[in-house]
Amino acid sequence: MADDRAAQIIAAIGGADNIIEIEPCITRLRCELEDGSKVDEAALKKIGAHGVIRAGSVVQIIVGPEADTIASDIEDLL
Amino acid sequence: MSVKVLSPVTGVLAPITEVPDPVFAQAMVGPGLAVHPELTAGDAVSPVDGTVVTLHPHAFVVATAEGPAVLVHLGIDTVKLKGEGFTLHVAKGDSVKAGQPVIGWDPKAIEDGGRSPICPVVALDATVENLVDMREPGPVEAGDTLFTWQR
Repeated sequence: MADDRAAQIIAAIGGADNIIEIEPCITRLRCELEDGSKVDEAALKKIGAHGVIRAGSVVQIIVGPEADTIASDIEDLL
Repeated sequence: MSVKVLSPVTGVLAPITEVPDPVFAQAMVGPGLAVHPELTAGDAVSPVDGTVVTLHPHAFVVATAEGPAVLVHLGIDTVKLKGEGFTLHVAKGDSVKAGQPVIGWDPKAIEDGGRSPICPVVALDATVENLVDMREPGPVEAGDTLFTWQR
């Protein structure tokens, strides 16, 4: 299930090629992207994100306290 | 079930809406309070009895045996310090008592570095109605009760 979510998050932020760096910080994934406009906010919310904060190419996905686990699942998939 | 949640630091208690970060200010991960810490080096203590389930140099989560987990974040955007200036007194997975030192840090150094040292204390995945006996904003000592988490 967790792996599933990691894959869905990657797809919702524009795919592996769009990801420069993902850093977990307790409750959020800080994603540095090539192109911030490729983020599908609605899809992220559907996966269970509490919120999405965008600032240009940096997008923070608020996933709750499992951020660390999700980030390592994502890194395994990249 | 009810758990008393203690202040991790000494300082001035404030509504969580004063935290300059939308994730905390809008209670996206849960409601809580925030403490403007006294600007002297010291230890942040555990707000509850429990297990350290997440530990970063600048933040930690303690889960109680009953289930509720409390997040303490030491300053805002402090993830960028990569642990510099923080001393861990416990390890992930350790059992801790409420009031036990978890992380040593220096709020003044955080502020001098241009970041807010404010400490959000968040009842993860709680609702506002779960938190009772909320302490009024004002001076607070590390170990004082901030609120009681009921569910």
